[in-house]
Formats: sequence, C-alpha cells, structure tokens
Amino acid sequence: MRKILKVARRDYLATVRTKGFLVGLVLAPLLMGGSLIVMALFRDRTDPRDRKIAVVDRSGVVADALVRAAAERNARDTVAAAGRSRQAAYLIEVIRPNERDPALQRLLLSDRVRAKELHAFVEVGPHALHPGRDTTERHLAYHSQNAVLDETRGWIAEQANAALRRQRLLEAGIDTSVVPDLFQTIEGAPLGLLSRDPATGRITDALKSDEKAAIFAPMVIMLLMLMMLMFSAMPQLNATMQEKSQRIAEVVLGSVRPFEFMAGKLLGGVAIALTASAVYVGVGLYALTVLGLSGLMPLSIVAWFFVYMLLAVAMYGALFAAVGAACNDPIEAQSMSFVAMLPMILPTFLLLPVVMQPNSAFATGMSLVPLWTPMLMLMRQATPGGVPAWQPWVALVGVVATTLLFIWVGGRVFRVAILMQGTPPKLQNFVRWAIRG
Amino acid sequence: MNAIDIEHVTKTYGPVVAVDDLSFAVPEGSIYGFIGPNGSGKTTTIRMMLHIIEADRGAIRVFGETLRSACTDRIGYVPEERGLYRKMKVREVLEYFGGLKRNGSLRKEVDAWIERLDLADWADKKVETLSKGMSQKVQFIAAVVARPPLLVLDEPFSGLDPVNADVLREAILALRAEGTTILFSTHDMAVAERMCDTILMIFRGRKVLDGTLESIQNRYGTDTVRVRTDGGAAALDGLRGVDRVTDFGQEQELRLDGTRDAQDLVGEMLGRTRVTSFEVMRPSLRDIFLRIAGPAAEEATDA
Repeated sequence: MRKILKVARRDYLATVRTKGFLVGLVLAPLLMGGSLIVMALFRDRTDPRDRKIAVVDRSGVVADALVRAAAERNARDTVAAAGRSRQAAYLIEVIRPNERDPALQRLLLSDRVRAKELHAFVEVGPHALHPGRDTTERHLAYHSQNAVLDETRGWIAEQANAALRRQRLLEAGIDTSVVPDLFQTIEGAPLGLLSRDPATGRITDALKSDEKAAIFAPMVIMLLMLMMLMFSAMPQLNATMQEKSQRIAEVVLGSVRPFEFMAGKLLGGVAIALTASAVYVGVGLYALTVLGLSGLMPLSIVAWFFVYMLLAVAMYGALFAAVGAACNDPIEAQSMSFVAMLPMILPTFLLLPVVMQPNSAFATGMSLVPLWTPMLMLMRQATPGGVPAWQPWVALVGVVATTLLFIWVGGRVFRVAILMQGTPPKLQNFVRWAIRG
Repeated sequence: MNAIDIEHVTKTYGPVVAVDDLSFAVPEGSIYGFIGPNGSGKTTTIRMMLHIIEADRGAIRVFGETLRSACTDRIGYVPEERGLYRKMKVREVLEYFGGLKRNGSLRKEVDAWIERLDLADWADKKVETLSKGMSQKVQFIAAVVARPPLLVLDEPFSGLDPVNADVLREAILALRAEGTTILFSTHDMAVAERMCDTILMIFRGRKVLDGTLESIQNRYGTDTVRVRTDGGAAALDGLRGVDRVTDFGQEQELRLDGTRDAQDLVGEMLGRTRVTSFEVMRPSLRDIFLRIAGPAAEEATDA
C-alpha cells in the first residue's frame, strides 16, 4: 500500500502543480458561476425597441382586430413595472393586398424588413375564416429575419385566432359580449406532488415545478461528472503511454508490481477528481445559495455525485490506463483515445431523451448500464420527480462490480502491455492480454 | 551466500525462447559481468530477476529468498534506456525513485549523491534540461540512493564522456568496496575485462561462458598474436597458419589455427615488413565474444 500511495502522490502532484490545472480549476467555476449570474440577471430582459408589423389581410377579419389588440397591449405592457421591464410596443401597419402581383408585394415588404423599416410582415389568407380540411393552403404567414424564434409570431397567431373565432361565433348568431370571458385562457400550472410531513403529520403544499429544476440541475450535474472524468480518467491514457515510451515504466516496475503501479495511478486520478470536484461543487453550491437557488441541488444528489464519481474515475481510469499501456507513441494514443472515449461520451447523446422522460423504460434501462450509471442515473436522480429508491442502489452494485472487473482486466492488460514495445494496440492483442494476463 | 541464484530458468514469448534453461550464481560482493549480443536474452533475464516479468520455469533466489515482490526492494536497477520523469526536478525524481524502495526521508542520501556526482547545480532543475550524460548520472543515483545491496546496471557508461565515466566507475567500485553486489550488463568488452570479477555470456538464451576472465581465456589458450608493423594489415595477407586477421588500424590481431609456432610466424613477417611490436597473448574478451557470437559463428550455428 505504501508504494501505491507513493505512485498516487507523484501522479497527483504532477497534475495539480501544472499551470493548466490551476487555470482550469479557477476558470471553470468562474465560467459556470458567471453564466448562472448572467442568466439570472438577463432572465426577463427583452429588446424594448418598438416593433412595426405590416399586415396584409385577405380575409378581412384579422387586420383591425390586430390593431385593437396591439393598442391594448401597448397601453398595458410598454410601461416598466415592479419585477418586470418595459416590453416592446407592437405597431400594426395595415397594407391593402395587391391582388395582381402578390409575389411582388411580398418582395417589397421583405425589402422593408431587411431595411429595418419593419420588424415583420403578416399575410392572412382569403380562407382563414373557414379553412376547411385543406392543409396545403397557407392561412397565416409570418415573415421576419428569424421567424422561427421570433416571440412576436406567437402573439400575432394568438390574436388572429381570437379574431377569427369571434367572427365565426357572430356568423353563427352568438353574441360574444354576453360571455365576456369567452376567450380568456387559464394557465396549466406545473406542480409537484403533495406529501405528508412525517414530524407534524400535516400535508405539505405541492411546490410549483421550476424549469431550471427540471432541466438545468440534471444537465449541470451530468456535465460536471463528464468534466471530472475528462479531467482525471482520460489523461491516464497519455500519461501511461509516455511512461512506457520514455522507459519510465521499466524503472518503476523495478520497484513496484504492475498492479500496484496501475492502482497508484488510479488513486492519483481519484485524488485529482476529488480536488477539482470539491472546488467546483463548493463554488457551485455557494453560487446557488447567493442566487437563492439552493433548492436546485439537494445535498443527497451531491453525495451520490461523489460516490459515482470515485467509482467512475477508477472504472474509466483503468480502461484508459490499460489502453495507454498498449500504445507505443502519441499517434497511436491519439487514435485510441477516441475509441476509448466513446463509452464515456455516449450519455451526452442521451441527455435530452433522459431528462425529458426520466422514468421511461429507455431512460431507466440505459441508466442501469454500469458504464453510464454515473452520468445517467445521477441525472435522473436530479430531476424533480427523482427515481424509485431501489434504482440507485441496484445501479451502485453494478457500478462497483464493473469497476472491480475493469481494474482486474485492466491490470492484466497493463501488466503485459506496459513492457511490450512495438506491438500495436489491436483488439485481438487486448483480448489475448486480458485472458492470458 | 550468493546474491542471486538462477536455476534452470526458461522464458518464452510465443514461439521464441528468450531464455533457455539458464543457470548461474552471482556471488555476494562481486562485480558480475553479463554479456551477450543484442537479443540474446540479457534484458529478459534482468527483468525476471527484478520480478518485472515471471519465468515460465525455474527458480530465482535473491539473497537466498525465493523471488517475490519485496525482494526487488533489495535491487537497484539502471536500465539501458533512461527512464526519468522529464517534468520533475532532479531532487524530486531521486526522492521518488528512492522512496519506492525504502521508507523514510532520503534527503540526506540524495544530497550526498548529488554532491558526489557533481550535480549540485542541477538539483533543482527539471530533468528535461539535463544533458544525456547528466541524465545517466541521475538514473544511477536513482538506483543506488536507497542503498540496495544488489545493483543491476545495464550499459551504465553509455553516453558518458571519459571524465564522467571515471566518476561513475569510481562510484561503482566504492559501492562494491562497501559490500554491494553489482551485476553488470554491457557490450563494452574492455569495461567488462577491467571491472568484472566473473563474466557470464549468454547467446540465444543459453549460457555459453561463465567464470573469471582468466579461466575463460585459459580455455582458449595463447592462440593470439598482436603485432605492429610498418606494412600494416596488407603485409599480413596470406600468412600460413593464421585463421583470422583483425585490423585495428595501428595494430593487428592474428588468431592462429594451431598448426604453426608463433616464432615461425614472426620470421615470415620479418621477411615481408619491419615488425615494431610482437606479443603472443590469450584472446581478448572481445575476440572470444566474436568467436561465439560473431557473423561466422552465427553462420556456423545456423548451418
């Protein structure tokens, strides 16, 4: 054990003393914390400049309604109020349709948008009032520089539909003034589940679900895990390759057994990950507390993060060390690092489906694969609903077993490959070394 | 007691027999020369002694104990190719490698060796700033700083200028005087002749020579003549009873085939050119090495 600790201490100091590590250690939380602060500061900031929108109404129903709705909205929202900044005013310009050459009219309006005279122009089709079942005809067209992400498009569509519905009711002989709240909408509030306080026996109110809690927290903790693996497990590949190619390994192995050498390197990697993550998690929690968002990251998730991280660094570290031991030069190491990285980065491709439906069979199954548990199970645990209590423990057993297996197999490969000069890192060689040791 | 006992050790890599039923003993306190051509199995044998790799068959004992991991703490090792962490400072790297073999602070020993091998100005510099010769000295200190009773040196003088080679040679002899056993793998036959008490030669994994230099040379008798002549090697062409002429430029070495007396030979040479020096001697270790492992011997073995 003394020798393992000596190797671990050297590897740890060799990394943490580098300028790159120190710079990364400071910069990463600054960037993460900074982006949180910027997001909080600019959460409700929108562009307050007036938006002029031209409307070409071929239905004869929508244009006037848009003018009235814009006037009401401008009177209500273009004044800054407590907790809300000033919103942009919508100025509607009604344009007579050019029936002889509608394409030319659209082109001229497009030029006005390009010249910044207009924010957008809207074209309402002649059959918008009764569109029927024909889905090929375009009844409401919104043209702007970035129409897909333009928030004004949603407002225009909402007002246009309200005007059209009102007209349809009138045509049906229904007086809409009799039902003043006919078009009033109600919000579907996203709420959590109620529970009983075990101490007092009282039923606690359901908390309103937060978008940040639902998406931000799981993604951040998962990316932090990935960052720690890239910080501490991945460098094992190049470090081991260098120790082999520079014949350092032969000198070290004159004093320590190959398994002790690899174990020391893994322990060094774990220590590096602990150092970096302690800083990141510490700064992150402090930043959340300062911003009043401490509820986003429960301490139980932080505890699971450290458990999974220690195991994942050892698991992936053994993989990278074994692959590094098989490489003879930086070119081989570079090409092999991509292959070895694949299982580690695969969970990033599953990020969205898992976070959107954390308790689907797919998400549950993938998170129970030991290679991906440290990232996917942790991410699921960080979602507001959490996961069934048994799942993290079952997954943990799998991760522990896989980590031990990786260290054992990695150790067998490492032992042979670290002294093998000139033998390329091919799959059949890995299999042979792993079986024969 | 022997520092190392190797008995019937065999190591194969697939179809290649790297070491074949090798047995020898290194007496404690001796300097033991380990010679052989490239690929003859020297490094494999050394790695087995250090427990870096395991023998397929046979037994290896270090100071009477069957080889296991802890035994390697009693062996210092300088490999042929230098292996030092380039980004570490000289003092740190020495304390690290020494610390792998021995517990406790090694600061005093490190300082003493740094002073002794004239590296004081480089102690706090990174290894990557050192010349090849200085790196070699650092590698040597890394092997001896924990005071192992057995030192395995693989080409310890390569890359050293004569001044530094002398410094290292004196250090090795001083260690032997203090009781350290030294096993010395080298291609430099002159160094082996001068420094080693006993010499072992392996060829294609098998032992072909083992004994003191004198006993080895006695086996070949006085079949060698070293001459200096005005005519040089050209004047020695076609001499009867000469098996082989090795030209060193200023002097030539003749190997006799045993059919002719050396006195007759000098008479014939005097008839051809002026002979300025003539010495009948036993073959040098280099010559014996070439007889066993030179191209002619390789051809004979292959045939």
